[in-house]
Amino acid sequence: MDANKSIERLHQIQQQTNACITIFEKPVQHKKEGKLSNWSVAIKDNFVMKDVLTTAGSTILSNYIGVYDATVLTKLADEGVSYVAKTALDELGMGGSGLTCFTGPTKNPLDLKRQAGGSSSGSAAVMAANAVDLALGSDTGDSVRKPASYCGVVGVKPTYGRISRYGVIPYASSLDHVGYFTHNVMDSVKALEVMAGFDLKDPTTLIQQLPAISNVITGDLKGKKIAIFKNVIDHIDKVETKQLFEQVIDACKQQGALVSEVVMDEKLLKTMLPTYYILANCEATANHANLVGINFGLAQDGEDIYDIMKKSRTHGFNEMIRRRFVIGSFGLKDENQEELYVKAQKIRRLLVDQLSKALADVDVLIAPASSDVAPLLESDDADRLSNKHLISENHMVLGNFSGFPSMTIPMGNINSLPIGLNINAKAMDEQTMFDVALGLEKVINYKKVKGEV
Amino acid sequence: MKRDVVIGIEVHCELKTNTKMFSGAPVGFAQEPNTCVNEIDLGHPGTLPALNKEAVKLSIMACFITGCRIDYLMRFDRKNYYYSDLPKGFQITQQFYPLGKDGSISIIVDDQEITIGIERIHMEEDTAKQFHMEDKTLIDYNRAGTPLIEIVSKPDMRSAKQAKAYVETLRNMLLYANVSDVKMEEGSLRCDVNISLKEKGSDTFGTKVEIKNLNSIANIEKAIDAEIIRQNELLDNNEPIIQQTRRYDEATKTTIAMRDKEAALDYRYFPEPNIFPTMITDALYQEAIASIPLMPDKKRQMLIEDYQLKEVDADILINNKALLDYFDDVIVHTSSATLLCNWLISEVLSLEAVHDYNKHIPAEDFGRFINLLKDNKINSKQAKVVFTHMLEKKKPDDIIKELNMVVIEDDNLLHLWILQAIDNHPQSVVDYKNGKDRAVGFLVGQVMKLSKGQANPAKTNQLVKEELNKR
Repeated sequence: MDANKSIERLHQIQQQTNACITIFEKPVQHKKEGKLSNWSVAIKDNFVMKDVLTTAGSTILSNYIGVYDATVLTKLADEGVSYVAKTALDELGMGGSGLTCFTGPTKNPLDLKRQAGGSSSGSAAVMAANAVDLALGSDTGDSVRKPASYCGVVGVKPTYGRISRYGVIPYASSLDHVGYFTHNVMDSVKALEVMAGFDLKDPTTLIQQLPAISNVITGDLKGKKIAIFKNVIDHIDKVETKQLFEQVIDACKQQGALVSEVVMDEKLLKTMLPTYYILANCEATANHANLVGINFGLAQDGEDIYDIMKKSRTHGFNEMIRRRFVIGSFGLKDENQEELYVKAQKIRRLLVDQLSKALADVDVLIAPASSDVAPLLESDDADRLSNKHLISENHMVLGNFSGFPSMTIPMGNINSLPIGLNINAKAMDEQTMFDVALGLEKVINYKKVKGEV
Repeated sequence: MKRDVVIGIEVHCELKTNTKMFSGAPVGFAQEPNTCVNEIDLGHPGTLPALNKEAVKLSIMACFITGCRIDYLMRFDRKNYYYSDLPKGFQITQQFYPLGKDGSISIIVDDQEITIGIERIHMEEDTAKQFHMEDKTLIDYNRAGTPLIEIVSKPDMRSAKQAKAYVETLRNMLLYANVSDVKMEEGSLRCDVNISLKEKGSDTFGTKVEIKNLNSIANIEKAIDAEIIRQNELLDNNEPIIQQTRRYDEATKTTIAMRDKEAALDYRYFPEPNIFPTMITDALYQEAIASIPLMPDKKRQMLIEDYQLKEVDADILINNKALLDYFDDVIVHTSSATLLCNWLISEVLSLEAVHDYNKHIPAEDFGRFINLLKDNKINSKQAKVVFTHMLEKKKPDDIIKELNMVVIEDDNLLHLWILQAIDNHPQSVVDYKNGKDRAVGFLVGQVMKLSKGQANPAKTNQLVKEELNKR
């Protein structure tokens, strides 16, 4: 879409949604020609952009101007995109609500009383408001795929290493993925074809090239082996969600797909969230040890170097973040490491083995991305450790533990609010994931909700 | 002495690479502060480490020459602590799986060969340099991220002398292997020494004290001797040794406590998630091994056996690596190793402030010069003149032409001068007959004068003797 119109639209929704941290005065386009020359793109504010404010949603970086460009920004710019804004996120990407950005909560344009989801809240919101063609996000637990579900758009997390993380302010390096939002499956394929590729600056990127997918996939579901993630369905109470999912399954069968069910070790699945918390917080506490206000970022005065660091960090992070750092440090302490960090690593391995086994004989594994539509802004997470919540709301983290590609597409609406369908495939097999997603997109034929702004 | 001394040494050695351990920024000593840095070295948000292949190669070489067993699967860990010299808030190191393990080197102390064990060699990155001023601290990040290896010895040394020999030997090996500059004064080689005392013959180690920041080999020896005295005195008085870090004070020639050992400090090591475990390829390993030059002991042997140099001369070359390198460069252009060695030691070595001899006199020119001398195209007196001119970047053949230098070898002409010299100094014949051999030298000198320095001294010497014997 026209990038100037895009900026106009972002201004229009900003006051009510608070989706952006920076809306550019004019579009930033480095090349006129390219595969994505008419695309306007929003960037989650944890992607470093040269000479542009890059805050990661945190007070401590609220004055930080990027000194280099993230690799993925360069790749997209080389294909002609126009950048229009940097979007809000949960502080440092650590959160799932979109409520903890230092600029205030992001509201869902489809229902302003509700969350857009997180941590890529602003990117999901500007997509829901039809303000851009592509919005970049990052996905450490389900930070792209969950908000995509709440905002009725496509959210993709490709294979770990498919897109360079160089220049993406981390949360937890071994779980962090560059992810993104588009309005439809074909756009998401085209976007990945541009963003994917080995990067010398990120040696964890894959050497294996992404095959050309866009001109190969047809969306034909005939003969596709689709497995239902049964544990997730069993933990969902909401009838409408189950009905929507069943409609999808029926349609798949009609199209000739071979549908089966997979049941994973229930006890093991219940460890997903605690395992995630330990690993993510342990890595995060080290990853963010550079944020001390010494050679960049917002510094506070202090008596000596330690005092400056202490005061800058106390002032610079919200309480929830500081608490996560304490948990992470605790998990890495000499006397706790074996019992917490190392054990969590072992459980991660077991969970990945479960997922690999589930995918071994099928093309994809699918489940509702969430048990329900977007939560209200004030909803608390008191039941987070309940049996119901542990599996149905956290299963997408398997994609981060394994690094396997995973995406969410709209599954339908419940009372005029969207809910997503999650699709998982084998490592490096984005092609199959997209092919099935394209087919599902056709049979679902999702009707966009008209938003409030 | 009633107590045994136990010494172990940790050597931090900066690797001779063009770029940093995990970034493409240049490595540079004594550069304008904060110019050899990029966003990675400064720990800016979103940056990631990319391992320097050359640094790995040099580290493999260090492991190889010290006989360490190499762990082919490289793994890195994070060492977490907050300090202003550590921009990321953690140092990337190899805590759990060091690159090399269980090696050893031989040292010679009082003509005795002793084996010192090497516990481990691991790769890591250097920190920034801090300058603490009265009211502020200045930070130079140029050093941040410089590739390092830490070489940890076993507690195998029993005296300051052995410790000194260990560091000297190790330093020379690293220098010869081209792994590092090993300049202690510039900090590219740094030593931390651990010392404890135990009752003679006992298996129980005493409390360990660490001496940090030793900036010369001489100070290593002095610091250890001072520390041994201090610990002995404490033990004699039944006072406890406190586990702590100390430094050596040159003014008082004693060690001074810096801080009590942070027994409780927990670095919360964990595997670096941004660097996957990486296999050293066979190609890289072979390349590393193939590029290791001869170690000092082997090289010395070669100088003596292959080039027939005197032991004392060989030692001078071995301990002057730059001069030895020049010897190696020149020797391919000449066949007279002895003549070359003499000239290097007597003339070239005394050139002040010259580090790159090749730059001053190209090896090819020096080789030609030695050949001219050997073939009597110039005599030794003329050679000194030629040498001086060569320092002005002139080629030896041009100098000889310019100064009309010839060596006169014509028997008749030499004979004429000899007769003239004898006529002028008849007493020398008498002296010679009376067994005073220096009369020969005297007459040769006279002939040199008469020939304006152009006579071939060796040949003149021979002819003078023949003439004197006839009389």
